[in-house]
Amino acid sequence: MAEGARILIVEDEEHLAQGIRFNLEHEGYRAQVIADGALALEELTRASRPYDLVILDVMLPGMDGFAVAHNLRERGNLAPILMLTAKSLPEDVVHGLEAGADDYLPKPFDLGVFLARVKGLLRRRDWARGAAPGPSKVRIGDSEVDFATFEVLRAGQVSRLTLLEATLLKLLVQNPGRVISKGEILEKVWNLAADTETRAVDNFIVRLRRHLGDDPRNPRHLLTIRAAGYRLLLDP
Amino acid sequence: MAPASQLSPLHRSKWVHITVGLTLILLSVALTVGWQFLAIPGAVLASPLRWVLHFFGSLLLLLLTGGLVLIFILLLREVRLNERQSNFVSAVTHELKTPVASLRLYLDTLEMRALPEEQRTRFYATMRQDLERLNSTINNVLNAAMFTDRPVTNPQPVELARLVRRMVELTRTRNQLPADAMRYTGPDTLVVMGDAGGLETAVLNLLDNAVKYSGERIDVHVSLELVGTDRVRLRVRDHGIGMTRAHLAFIFNRFYRIGAEVRRSRTGTGLGLYIVRSVAKGHRGSVTAESPGPERGSVFTLTLPGVRPGSVHG
Repeated sequence: MAEGARILIVEDEEHLAQGIRFNLEHEGYRAQVIADGALALEELTRASRPYDLVILDVMLPGMDGFAVAHNLRERGNLAPILMLTAKSLPEDVVHGLEAGADDYLPKPFDLGVFLARVKGLLRRRDWARGAAPGPSKVRIGDSEVDFATFEVLRAGQVSRLTLLEATLLKLLVQNPGRVISKGEILEKVWNLAADTETRAVDNFIVRLRRHLGDDPRNPRHLLTIRAAGYRLLLDP
Repeated sequence: MAPASQLSPLHRSKWVHITVGLTLILLSVALTVGWQFLAIPGAVLASPLRWVLHFFGSLLLLLLTGGLVLIFILLLREVRLNERQSNFVSAVTHELKTPVASLRLYLDTLEMRALPEEQRTRFYATMRQDLERLNSTINNVLNAAMFTDRPVTNPQPVELARLVRRMVELTRTRNQLPADAMRYTGPDTLVVMGDAGGLETAVLNLLDNAVKYSGERIDVHVSLELVGTDRVRLRVRDHGIGMTRAHLAFIFNRFYRIGAEVRRSRTGTGLGLYIVRSVAKGHRGSVTAESPGPERGSVFTLTLPGVRPGSVHG
């Protein structure tokens, strides 16, 4: 899947955009550049064939990258987003991830690392979708999760998971009953150091509980284990 | 105004300060007026001492109101400066990191891939442009610290007409512009007393600005003319994006940039025009900006004293 994947580069700095495009095309991907945030959102929403990956800058004319990511997720578009930006403080990273980005790379970056992240995101998406070993459909209580479509079916209602939500859920599904620490989740799902100070994991657990219809005050499936991490019970 | 949930903490705190300040002002005005009303019914036949007390009481409250207004204005200024400084940090971070990121990307590409000579040459040219951008940002930051409003200490004769023509040529080359995109009219020679380095920076910043804000069609007219016997006026007129009256009042302030930095549409640090103003003041001159409105171009006028008698020719 990775080779030939369609990638949209949203970057207003021409030199960077062209350099990234040149390298992605050299790796066999099909890349397109848009320099304006609002136009990129329009293109991503309207495109007849969804993009496989979005490389998104933060400081953009038209609409900033955080808003593009947020709006894209609000509209149900789940294309993986790799955010590239000169803003590299931990709070910027968390802000980007919470807005809907799936990975974050501060500028200036190493070309090898960048290409590895691109490959990693495309692989992660395939893994979450069940192309890699692991179950494609899983029943958690009265919800059925389909990792091929990122859909959760519960009481006749369908909700859709983002790539990060699906990746986190898949990690928990592959380790049912085991306590997984916050650090392990940060490393495996977010590609962040285990000791990064962030509420991102807690926020995503809340979002997953909402998808699964799990009562946040008295969860039956997605349990918080104090000072240890989280534990998923498929059918308690 | 954006809904509260979309505002940054800095914006939120600005609105809290404004609300508190305005409430205090309104309260003290209400107190002044209300107190008069409360005092009047029994006061008509009261002793003269009561009127004296009234007078000083009112005076005190008026002073209180004045003080509150002053605090409110100072606070607002402080918040604006903080906003501009935060924008500046973002702008400089972006202006420094972007060319560095580009240089690193092209360097990595050249190292990692076997490329034809023609491609390599194109990449070298791109890297050269990135280096120039980096150099210009560093110079702007250093110049902002170097040129202050203090008068030039050791003014020397500067051939301004030649200096302007040279800067026009440099701007054309840097931006790969045809000759008619930036035209010069004015005398062949004109000497002013001043600091050549400062004047060069100021003129170059005005010309760069005109190109940067010209949009698609670059048509800049640079003119130099004598005003009276000892003053010279440099005018830079573009037909670009122009600006509103509200922006005109602030564009020479340090760190000022139009719009939120996260939605930046043009390169820059918000120091260019501030440096022009500092250089103008240092020469006991002035700089002004005019614009008929957005999309209708702008005119920047730099006026300098100290023209050497008999130095104007052509």
